[in-house]
Amino acid sequence: MTNLAENLRDLQQRFTVAAEAATDERALESLRVAYLGRNGEVTKLRRAIGELPAHERPQAGKAVNDVVAVMEERLRRRLENFDSRKVASELAASIDVTFPAIPAALGSLHPVRRIIDESCAYFRRHGFAVVVGAEAESDYYNFDALNIPSDHPSRESFDSFRLSDGMLLRPHTSAMQIRTMQRHRPPVAIVAPGKCYRRDAVDARHLFQFHQVEGLLVAEGIHFGHLKGMLTRLCRQLFGPDQNVRFRPSYFPFTEPSAEVDTTCPKCRGARGPCSMCGGSGWIELGGAGMVHPCVLREVGYEPDRYSGWAFGFGVERLGLARYEVDDIRRFVASDRDFLTQLA
Amino acid sequence: MLVPISWLREFVAVPNDAQAVADRLAMLGFPVAAIERRPRIAGVVVGRIATVERHPNADRLLVARVDVARPQAQTIATAATNVAAGQTIAVATIGATLPELTIRARTMRGVASEGMMISAGELALPAPWFEDGIMQLDGSLTPGTDVVEAFGLDGDVLDVEVTPNRPDAMAILGLARELAASYDLPLRVPSFVNPGRREEPPGARPAVSVESPDCERFVAQRFDGLRVGPAPAWMRIRLALAGQRPINNLVDVSNYVMLETGQPLHFYDAGEIAGGRLIVRDAHDGERLITLDGVERALSPRALVIADEARALGLAGLMGGASSEVTPATTAIVLEAANFNGPRIRRMSAALGLRTEASARHEKSLAPALTDAGAARASQLLTDFGATAYRPHAFGAPAAAAPPIALHVAEVERLLGLALPAERIVRHLRALGCEAVVTQNGTALSVTPPPWRRDLAIAADLVEEVARIEGYDRIPEALPSVPAHAISSAAFQLENAIALALAGLGYHEVVTHSLRRSGGPAAVEVRNPLSEEHRVLRESLAPGLIEYFAGAGEPIRVFEIGRVFARDGDRLVERTGAAFGFSVDGPGEPSWRDSAFLRLKGDCEALLRRVTGARAAVTPGSVPGFHPGKTGSVTLGDRRVGVIGAVDPRRAKACDLPGNAYLCLIDVDALPPHRTPHYRVRSKFPSTYRDLALTVDTAVAAAEIEEAIAQVLGSLCTEVRAFDEYRGPQVGEGRKSLAVRVTLQRSETTITDEEADDAVTRVLDALGERFGATIRT
Repeated sequence: MTNLAENLRDLQQRFTVAAEAATDERALESLRVAYLGRNGEVTKLRRAIGELPAHERPQAGKAVNDVVAVMEERLRRRLENFDSRKVASELAASIDVTFPAIPAALGSLHPVRRIIDESCAYFRRHGFAVVVGAEAESDYYNFDALNIPSDHPSRESFDSFRLSDGMLLRPHTSAMQIRTMQRHRPPVAIVAPGKCYRRDAVDARHLFQFHQVEGLLVAEGIHFGHLKGMLTRLCRQLFGPDQNVRFRPSYFPFTEPSAEVDTTCPKCRGARGPCSMCGGSGWIELGGAGMVHPCVLREVGYEPDRYSGWAFGFGVERLGLARYEVDDIRRFVASDRDFLTQLA
Repeated sequence: MLVPISWLREFVAVPNDAQAVADRLAMLGFPVAAIERRPRIAGVVVGRIATVERHPNADRLLVARVDVARPQAQTIATAATNVAAGQTIAVATIGATLPELTIRARTMRGVASEGMMISAGELALPAPWFEDGIMQLDGSLTPGTDVVEAFGLDGDVLDVEVTPNRPDAMAILGLARELAASYDLPLRVPSFVNPGRREEPPGARPAVSVESPDCERFVAQRFDGLRVGPAPAWMRIRLALAGQRPINNLVDVSNYVMLETGQPLHFYDAGEIAGGRLIVRDAHDGERLITLDGVERALSPRALVIADEARALGLAGLMGGASSEVTPATTAIVLEAANFNGPRIRRMSAALGLRTEASARHEKSLAPALTDAGAARASQLLTDFGATAYRPHAFGAPAAAAPPIALHVAEVERLLGLALPAERIVRHLRALGCEAVVTQNGTALSVTPPPWRRDLAIAADLVEEVARIEGYDRIPEALPSVPAHAISSAAFQLENAIALALAGLGYHEVVTHSLRRSGGPAAVEVRNPLSEEHRVLRESLAPGLIEYFAGAGEPIRVFEIGRVFARDGDRLVERTGAAFGFSVDGPGEPSWRDSAFLRLKGDCEALLRRVTGARAAVTPGSVPGFHPGKTGSVTLGDRRVGVIGAVDPRRAKACDLPGNAYLCLIDVDALPPHRTPHYRVRSKFPSTYRDLALTVDTAVAAAEIEEAIAQVLGSLCTEVRAFDEYRGPQVGEGRKSLAVRVTLQRSETTITDEEADDAVTRVLDALGERFGATIRT
């Protein structure tokens, strides 16, 4: 018993010296293994307790346990001490937070898609579906069904790329109106974004391939005021809450009444001074709109006396010019890295 | 169309404020493309020359005494030579402001000059369109009259755009009527009573044979006693302000009437009509005609001509011919005020490559009733110029009155969302010239459109007229409640999901041209390309992206989603494609390893997992344009949905790519619908793994090994994944070393080392047997 006590005292002393001398966590861990581990010194002593007479065992056990507790407490305190020193040295670190970031690897959506997405999301919130369709379309869907017979003067404004017989690259997304109405009875509420083509000479304001967003709502009780309400809110969505929208009478064979839709020039905010964006008018052209012509409704088997509706179409790149203050519409097709990065 | 405000103000008292009138016109459906601002001119008055004498001290100068209604005639020296006593001219008095100078009293070679006689150019009119020297005014003007006011020279000029449905508004009077209705001002309509009453002398009566259904109406009228000369100043100035060059009094009258009423006219020298008969007919095949522009044209029967009994005299609705042109010697003319079929004129105009002010109106289908009005106005003006007007003769169908249109008052509200009382609707329609009668106890109207409008046929047309005059801005905004429907947005959502996933994977979206210079045998050609650069529709998104990489100059990751086209027999096949990839500087790895490919493959798997919920596989394959040893098909189950690989280095070089590029092309239309993933509970017992270093023939694909291991072990293995490959002298020619990690786990108990080792043994046996695989030591 005395032997055990002495051994314990000796162990504890050596342990204390070693623990205080330890300089890092690793040293403390090997100390723990050497004394308290499976084959540690204290563990060996504990095993020896079994050889003691039965009446001495409880006292011996307690003595070992006490020493273990003291040792563990010392280990814990030493560890804590190391931790706080580590934290302190961590805290002492200081960097230049203004140093340039490591660039993120995130990609980007083309500005055209972003305008299309935001517009379509707005209409989807109001219960519209988004449909997409073919870019190569027939004369019937592009013109005849839209009340534009072949002799019609307004066909001139749709100077199109012709493919084989009766097919052409769509000059507008309006064909989607007919295709959708042929497939569905009213109510019909769609937006149709997509690429269109016209034989326009390319310059800073014109492309021969561009995107449009078409919208169509046909049901009972739909009127021009609804068109105004929806498009005004769309523009506020895209350009901000102060945006105004102006509807001017115009002419399209497939709508009656028809309108051109303008919205406040986002650059000069309608100041009517010199402005490179709107030419000083204070407005930029959004696109065409109007109440669906009774001939078009009849063509798809809708009853014009019962159903009414409106349609609109606007050019996405044109809107992009205004929204992102781009100087030249050709940049949307060139899509060079600098353009994409600036607008990302 | 150039519209001088001063001309408009002859018919309606609109404000002399170009911007205000332009804004109003825009809100009526006639946008103003530009406002030509007139310079400020003041102090210019009418003067009458009393005497002209030589300057005492200068041979080149004249000294005139000019009456400007002041107590004393002004003494004015001039270098001009076209001055004579009795002339009425414009005088800039002392203190007058001209565009480029202010007039001060000055002494010219010893003679005090009290002002300046001025030319058209000094009034900011196009100088070459007027006489050289001092501008000659009309003798009827009173000296002292303000020239600017008398000729409306202070009124700005609007460039008004007119939509093709409104040829009636390609006229000053037409636009004045619109403004009068909108401003609620009276319209001063000129009289359209033709002063020609007399019968022609024997043999002088113009005969007309209308032999084509494309001429609806033809008014012919003879005038005698004409003297060709300059038109009065007021007419020349108006024409010049409206952009028409004054020629002589006859040509000017025809242009003036066209600009005022919209009805194009033509004058024939009466002596040059063989047989005294005008014939409207198709041209004979190969018939030749020299038009007024001096061009000799070979005609086909698609051209409509006005001919006499001997030959074609002019192109109907387009341009007259040289043979019957009015000359300085002309004293008698036959006027033509005709109505032609719009589409016929447009086709002719396009076929001949000739477009004129007249054809621009005719091609939009003018109303036949305008012919009589045009003849009447010309008749009045020619009579004023001293001509004898004979009776007009109308040929072709009489102008039929349009049938009345029934318009329910409620229809206005149904279409506009703005309720208007019947009286207000009636007022707007009447202001535009409609006859409108209230019927059915005030709930409906019977509306007869005016004879000059051909575009009003149905109730919706009238609703637009009402809305225009009421003002579109008065229609209140509302939000519709959209009823439920069953139209799907799936295709759009799929495209968007792809775009979002690729952007998240670090790719930048681009848009390239759908039209390209060349394509393969199945490429769809455009029949009327704008240029050689853009002749065929793209069959694949790859060429556009490769060009993009070449143009970018530095490595970049991009994607495009768009349509691709091919011809399949007679059928045009259009599909949606998605392409993504990146360019790299150059190869930096041994020939059997390509981590760029594997990165692209990782993106491809991630993309397809995101949008379809399924796991994609790549199987070896070759595709033209791609590297023969670094290309595969992308499959989902047994469906082939795309291609992935390195661009064929020869193609990369041809496209001037500095290094190479890697592309994945996905056929979006072939993608299966998204499958919702289901959660599977994992075994809660620990797993273990074994790494195998195998040596196999280079021809053995990693996927084959993985598949074989999975098959041998069944449910015992949860994952098999090759993670390294090596080829080189240590493994010998034709062989490769493949490191594969096999993860093992049991669902009901912890897997033991013995079980794991046993599994490895079974795997090695099987691989040895099937692939000649050996374990690498």
